[in-house]
Amino acid sequence: MPLIEVKNVSKTYVTGKNIETPALSDVNLWIGPGEFTAIAGPSGSGKSTLLHILGALDFPTAGAVIYNGRDIAALPPDEQSLFRRDVLGFVFQAYNLINTLTALENVEYIMLLKSVEPVERREKAVAMLKRVGLADYIHRFPNEMSGGQQQRVAVARAMAAEPDLVIADEPTANLDSKTALSLITLMDELNQEKKTTFLFATHDPLVMQKARRVIWLRDGKLIEPQTEI
Amino acid sequence: MVTFIKIAWRNIVRNKKRSLITISAVGFGLGALIFIWSFVEGAHVQMTENYTSLVTGHIQIHQKGFLQQAKLETNMAGYPALLAKIRNMPSVVAVAPRIKAVGLISSTEASAGVEVIGVDPTEEKKLSRLAARIKTGQFLGETTDQDIVIGAALAKNLNVVLGDKIVVMSQALDGSIASGAYRVCGLMDTGAEEIDKGVVLITHAAAENLFAMAGRTSELAVRIKNVKDAKPAALQISEQLPSSFEVLPWQTVSPVLQQWIEFDEGFIWIIVFVVMIVVAIGILNTVLMGVLERTREFGILLGLGTQRGQIISMIAWESLFLGLIGCLAGLILGLTLSLYFHHAGIDLTVFTAALNTFYMDALIFPRVNFSQVVFSLFLVLSTSIIVSIYPAWLAARLKPIDAIRSL
Ligand SMILES: Nc1ncnc2c1ncn2[C@@H]1O[C@H](COP(=O)(O)OP(=O)(O)OP(=O)(O)O)[C@@H](O)[C@H]1O
Ligand SMILES: [Mg+2]
Repeated sequence: MPLIEVKNVSKTYVTGKNIETPALSDVNLWIGPGEFTAIAGPSGSGKSTLLHILGALDFPTAGAVIYNGRDIAALPPDEQSLFRRDVLGFVFQAYNLINTLTALENVEYIMLLKSVEPVERREKAVAMLKRVGLADYIHRFPNEMSGGQQQRVAVARAMAAEPDLVIADEPTANLDSKTALSLITLMDELNQEKKTTFLFATHDPLVMQKARRVIWLRDGKLIEPQTEI
Repeated sequence: MVTFIKIAWRNIVRNKKRSLITISAVGFGLGALIFIWSFVEGAHVQMTENYTSLVTGHIQIHQKGFLQQAKLETNMAGYPALLAKIRNMPSVVAVAPRIKAVGLISSTEASAGVEVIGVDPTEEKKLSRLAARIKTGQFLGETTDQDIVIGAALAKNLNVVLGDKIVVMSQALDGSIASGAYRVCGLMDTGAEEIDKGVVLITHAAAENLFAMAGRTSELAVRIKNVKDAKPAALQISEQLPSSFEVLPWQTVSPVLQQWIEFDEGFIWIIVFVVMIVVAIGILNTVLMGVLERTREFGILLGLGTQRGQIISMIAWESLFLGLIGCLAGLILGLTLSLYFHHAGIDLTVFTAALNTFYMDALIFPRVNFSQVVFSLFLVLSTSIIVSIYPAWLAARLKPIDAIRSL
């Protein structure tokens, strides 16, 4: 039983005067509960596109994304928004955080959208920030933290509301390799502790090594098992 | 909810420069509105006060029909009793009787048609500024009924000076020829040509005598506490008098002045409109810039599962805060200016000639009208909120994916 299933998904971008860019073609994919999976592939292979469709941030041109028996790609925007809030956690490449909120408030944000009680919200957020090693930074604003620290806050925020699936699009791309490795190690630990499914795109071999499954994309097509680039 | 208010507030603090621009636009807009309105209000009050205190009074009481056709026959008998009754009414400050008739005035050299007004010197001084406008000589006194006050311009036409004798001729109430000789005791210069060339004043007793109007008068002129209350006060007085009287506020007596004021107020609406446009553009500009600048942030908020309505409320709060702070600044600015000049006056000596035509002085004293301040406040605040609808709509319409990609 998969956590989420991608069925015959294709995505073609249409830009300008009917210029069509195929980004994904007929992708089929199962993601099981508790996976720690990397999506790898060269630039332009469709990694981001796949993650966006899985994250209900974008619509496929054809195909379905099944979660809990429902095709979430076919939901109206407001319900997709609820799906993202209740099921997913996101970590983007950079500038993930809301600049006007402190680290703590950023982590609390999704729980706030879900109307979690203030006391519980605060406790969970503080615990999560401690867990990612930022106990001393909870009242800092994003611009008062390093890139690695900001990404840790983003991971804490994604995890705090206890999602089923965390989607991370090149979370380490803007970090140096040492910081990148420690971030991915943190995600790995959280995956094992909380059994939360992680799906992340990367083209960093160091990061890829940490994954327990690697899905390869090339020219919008899935190549599994692992083959050469 | 609290978090969206918090984010909204922090966005204002975060971008101090942009917020200051918006706050200034709102503040100057509201300040200007309050000041312009109180200036105009002050000018209008001065205008009506000057006009009404010169001769019309705030309210006039006649036998019905006098306004339409001023005839000696349309008079009020037993006026002293009436006078006492009206003087005791709560809103009344002063009341003075007047006999009004047309006549011919002759010096040894020339003659002219004039309006002869018989006034009670003591009461008239409490009601109108005629006595204060005597340029040479003095106003009518209580002791003699042989004196006459004429306009300085008329004196020139008739070639008479202080102390000269002149003869007034007219028709009395009983149809007989009315004729009396008077000594010029004072020359008035009111600035209003129709008075300075066409009005002469004798005492009420002299006029009763001249026109065979013993115990009668043509008009009771009333001064009340506040000229702005003329209409309701007139209504109040008329309720207590027999229906054979007409009780007329100054607006009815001098519809022309009323029209000037209404025209002026119409003109103000154009200014209000322009100011509101400036305010609207100022706010729209900054809020819109703020939204476009934060596209990615809105994308993240939407991406995390924030509902569109919540984004809209966030931007609405932001505009509301900016509007409120701006309004506070505008209130302080507008009221400070208005109240300062309410005491100091605004010197418009340069325009004296034009101002006099409109019964205004060279110094204008703005007056703050509470309901106009509240209205301006409402106008500016609601503009600042309405104007945020477009940027809010833009932000809510964002697709999270486009916003996130626009890195
Ligand atoms: N909004 C868009 N409009 C048009 N074409 C797009 C758009 N987004 C992506 N593409 C195209 O779709 C293809 C897949 O892009 P995608 O961003 O998914 O690749 P990626 O694997 O994430 O690449 P990278 O490693 O550089 O992030 C590319 O050819 C890209 O040019
Ligand atoms: Mg990508």
